[in-house]
Amino acid sequence: MPDVPKMKKPDAKLVLLGDMNVGKTSLLHRYMERKFKDTISTVGGAFFLKQWGPHNISIWDTAGREQFHGLGSMYCRGAAAVILTYDVTNWQSLAELEERFLSLTDTANHDCIYALVGNKADLTDPKAHLCQDSDVLSEDRTDCEEARTEPQVLSACPTPPASPASLSGMLLHKQVAREDAVALYGRILRYKGLDEKGSLPADRMCFETSAKTGYNVDALFETLFDLVLPSILRKRHENQASPTVDLEDCREASGKRGKSSCC
Amino acid sequence: MSVKAFELVPAVERDLLMGDKARINIECIECCGRHLYVGTNDCFIHHFLLDEVTSSKGRLSYSAQKLLHKYLGLKKPVAELRAASALERLIVLCDGIVFLVDMVTLESVPSAAGGGVKIRGVTAFCINENPVNGDPFCVEMGVLSSKRRTVQIYMVYEDRVQLVKEVNTPEQPVAVSIDGYFLCLALTTQYMILNYNTGASQDLFPYNSEERTPIVKRISREEFLLAAPGGLGMFANAEGASQRAPVNWSESVMAAAVCFPYVVALDENFITIHSMLDQQLKQTLSFRDGQVLQDVEGKVMLASTKAVYVLVPLPLERQIQDLLASHRVEEALVLTEGAQRNIPKDKFQILHRRILQQAGFIKFGQLQFLEAKEHFRKGQLDVRELISLYPLLLPASSSFMRCHPPLHEFADLNHLAQGDQGKVLRCKNFLISYLGEVRSTDLVNGCRDDVDTALLKLYAEQDHDSLLDLLASDNSCLLTDSIPWLEKYHKYFALGLLYHFNGQDAAALQLWIRIVDGELRDSTRSDLYEYIVDFLCCSSNMEIVWKYADWALRKDPTKGVHIFTKRPVCKGGSEVNPDEVIAYLGKHSQALLLYLEHLVLERKIQKEKFHTHLAVLYLERVVSLLKTPKDEDQLTKAREKLQAMLRESHLYRVQFVLGKMEGCEELLLERATLHGKLEEHDKALHILVHKLRDFPSAEAFVVWASSDRDPLYRQRLFHLLLGVYLHDAPSGCGGSSEMEMAAVDLLNRHGEVFDAVRVLRMLPENWSLQLLRPFLNRAVRASMHASRTSQIALGLARSENVQLLHDRLKERRKPIFVSEKKGCHLCHNTFSEPSVVCLPGGVPVHVHCAAQRVRDSPTKRQLTNSSNHT
Ligand SMILES: Nc1nc2c(ncn2[C@@H]2O[C@H](COP(=O)(O)OP(=O)(O)OP(=O)(O)O)[C@@H](O)[C@H]2O)c(=O)[nH]1
Ligand SMILES: [Mg+2]
Repeated sequence: MPDVPKMKKPDAKLVLLGDMNVGKTSLLHRYMERKFKDTISTVGGAFFLKQWGPHNISIWDTAGREQFHGLGSMYCRGAAAVILTYDVTNWQSLAELEERFLSLTDTANHDCIYALVGNKADLTDPKAHLCQDSDVLSEDRTDCEEARTEPQVLSACPTPPASPASLSGMLLHKQVAREDAVALYGRILRYKGLDEKGSLPADRMCFETSAKTGYNVDALFETLFDLVLPSILRKRHENQASPTVDLEDCREASGKRGKSSCC
Repeated sequence: MSVKAFELVPAVERDLLMGDKARINIECIECCGRHLYVGTNDCFIHHFLLDEVTSSKGRLSYSAQKLLHKYLGLKKPVAELRAASALERLIVLCDGIVFLVDMVTLESVPSAAGGGVKIRGVTAFCINENPVNGDPFCVEMGVLSSKRRTVQIYMVYEDRVQLVKEVNTPEQPVAVSIDGYFLCLALTTQYMILNYNTGASQDLFPYNSEERTPIVKRISREEFLLAAPGGLGMFANAEGASQRAPVNWSESVMAAAVCFPYVVALDENFITIHSMLDQQLKQTLSFRDGQVLQDVEGKVMLASTKAVYVLVPLPLERQIQDLLASHRVEEALVLTEGAQRNIPKDKFQILHRRILQQAGFIKFGQLQFLEAKEHFRKGQLDVRELISLYPLLLPASSSFMRCHPPLHEFADLNHLAQGDQGKVLRCKNFLISYLGEVRSTDLVNGCRDDVDTALLKLYAEQDHDSLLDLLASDNSCLLTDSIPWLEKYHKYFALGLLYHFNGQDAAALQLWIRIVDGELRDSTRSDLYEYIVDFLCCSSNMEIVWKYADWALRKDPTKGVHIFTKRPVCKGGSEVNPDEVIAYLGKHSQALLLYLEHLVLERKIQKEKFHTHLAVLYLERVVSLLKTPKDEDQLTKAREKLQAMLRESHLYRVQFVLGKMEGCEELLLERATLHGKLEEHDKALHILVHKLRDFPSAEAFVVWASSDRDPLYRQRLFHLLLGVYLHDAPSGCGGSSEMEMAAVDLLNRHGEVFDAVRVLRMLPENWSLQLLRPFLNRAVRASMHASRTSQIALGLARSENVQLLHDRLKERRKPIFVSEKKGCHLCHNTFSEPSVVCLPGGVPVHVHCAAQRVRDSPTKRQLTNSSNHT
């Protein structure tokens, strides 16, 4: 039997986890194709390759359906970053992350980065209504010029609760507050046995996004790409150097990462 | 959305296998080269020889020839058959027993001494296709047994099997596959990877093997394909990770195989074919009673309960072409690129390029130009393929032939656009930008003519600004092809540029001149006349210049003369001979004048001929203006020029000019100047004072005539004028007092020039002191100054003299040494003769150095110049 060609091995893996219907596939579409389009509930999983500088990063979209739950550990194996996704209008979706999905990440890298993402922010938050993604309107594909800062509109719009309702009907009740996510992030670190001080801070790693309007989507992915770069370089370095692990070296490298991440 | 990736071809039909015995079913098959073995539920092995037959129409079919069948004697179905071709053995699983039969005779292999050939209690086994042990004469086999939670590794030899390893599993194993040291196992409730060498294990994912038959299929080095919950086909590597996204099968899949880039799966009713490249379902074939699916040597073999089939992959190119034919460009490219590692490099490159080119044309046809361009670029399209779509763009002389088979379905642009002019225009604009981009790259090597000519035609037709840039820079536009095209679009100026680029300046000029003269219409340049002048000015081809300058000069002598006056001074290149130009300009008087001015005033050429000529031309102009007195202003200007010329040039022939002035009573001032030039100052002053009575001019004259002369000369001239004022005055008449006033003014203004004593003698007695006060003031001051300066000089000289005397007295007493080795303090040369001069302090110097020093000394200079000072 002739061998099947091997996939070119990506430099790092990023995995999207979360209950069905929270919008994992939509987030990836928004980021990769810069569109919000109809999705069907993901079967099994899918993945995309993203060129980030000189590196190839594979992004796995997993299926949230219970049926495929068992595959999660395998997808997470060797992951450099995991995006735990919930739906801000659905409290249960956040609870599921802790109950069902967190344990799947046991197979991820020891230095894996975790991000908590509350999607569908457009349904609850007026500021997420306004797409800040410059190319939502124009279909061109320049990925670099996105507004990463808070939208200007924020300050220009003094009474948010009144006006957005007129934009697309009523806002839904926000079931998950940001504080809930931040608290969960703390528990995740504890579960991983990580020291809160040496890890990335919650306010950097908890995102609220909207795949529909593009709100915060680029920021989410690009923050993570940047954060996994040191781990890629370290891995490369380890592969080149002797196969034995130098503990000194490791500590130093992780120390550096800690430092670079807080400024 | 389907591709035809495979064709299902019958291999062994029912008749050949079991005739009409209804209860006999196929259980397993194995294929090895042309040999096909079929195991049945009635414990038979059938051996066939299978041959590929290609019909005249290219259709593939199989002919099977039955060689042998053999009853194994166990009354149970033959569960599994594996060929170990190097050993010429078939490994058989039947009734829980693994044993070997001869591949040719199908006879059971008797056990060799010392080792048993039979393994009992076996539920499943697999062959390691990538064994770590490289011995070609044994086969590594993984065996699962019904009662134990273990996997046993055996070595199979020609006549014996040997247990080499046994590893425990956490649960009862159900299915196994091996690669290297890695066992991929389906256990009762999950899949796992187990390294039988180290014992390390890796859980993959849960799976209920009692509910659904698990599948573990090795698909490549350290990569397995597994049946996952929800009817998924999951990929897993030896590290326990997934590197490809899963494919979506049905829940009832019972077997799967990989035939790159496709995953083929068999369920109760269908064969489904997914691409591993994009996970899409590509083809579905209905297939009833499926029993076996197995990949063998690049194809996939299948068996229903009654017959054997081969799933033959269609040639990759055909699949790709099918995709392209239905405009599925992205899929076609994914398929092509996915095949890269399966095709030799050079062959792949050719294929890839062609597919990219075709893809480019499909995108082009859909007016998706960005994508089209990218594909063309990557596919290194011969741009002429694209140009040839546009009627008439390729030059008639082009040798280009479209590639065969064609890269696209379009006859030409009109066919593509179906008469939509908007589309045509967009396509043209695309070609313009595309050609503009590629024309300077290697892509157009060997067809630069075609590309540039096409671009020229498009620019001309579209009235594009870059036409001129193209023609003004290095280009390969073909002249013969471009002429009619440029003429058609009235781009005569551009055509001229092209002529020029091809070294046909005369043709270019003729064309441009016709535009300026209004014979041809082309509004490209409103300043075409100036352009032509400039062109001639820069042209080094004098023949052309002589030929067309005439036209330019007739049109506008002032600008036309720039042809000669603005010539870049080229180094080394032969300059135009001014005499020739002057001769040429003979009939263009205005231009000639300008040219001479250029020579004399700008370039300051010091040649009598030009100066005289210019002076005469100035004079003639003044004379002619004098004859038709209408424009005073012009006359004044002309005279000013003439006067300036006469005054400032020293080269013209004065007498000659003077001669020319004979009979021109008006030009007295000019005459005076000329007399001045001849040093006939009395004549000049006579004219100025008596004829013109222009005293300021007279005064200006003496100032001018004596400038740069020594003081005595100057004094002489001033006295001359004074004399004229005082003595030539006709006494008694009113003019005399006028002249006297002029004399007073002259004295008062230039007192210092005069010899005051002489003046006083000349002045009439009756003049008041008051009248001459400024003059006298100056005269007295000047004389006082001179006297004091000379007194100082005298004093200084005396003291020097005393000093010298003193030194001499001192030096007399001691000798002064002069030798050939001693140097002079002034010039630092040695002495060669005994006579020397001693400076104060007894320093010996050369005689001539001392003399020089005295000449240069400030006191001395002071003395000689003192008369100059006031
Ligand atoms: N309003 C809003 N709807 C969203 C957003 N993101 C996703 N949706 C909708 O939510 C539904 C589910 O989206 P998916 O992206 O398919 O969800 P998923 O997480 O991939 O679900 P599974 O694949 O089943 O795990 C779809 O109907 C989306 O249109 C969002 O940001 N805002
Ligand atoms: Mg999904």
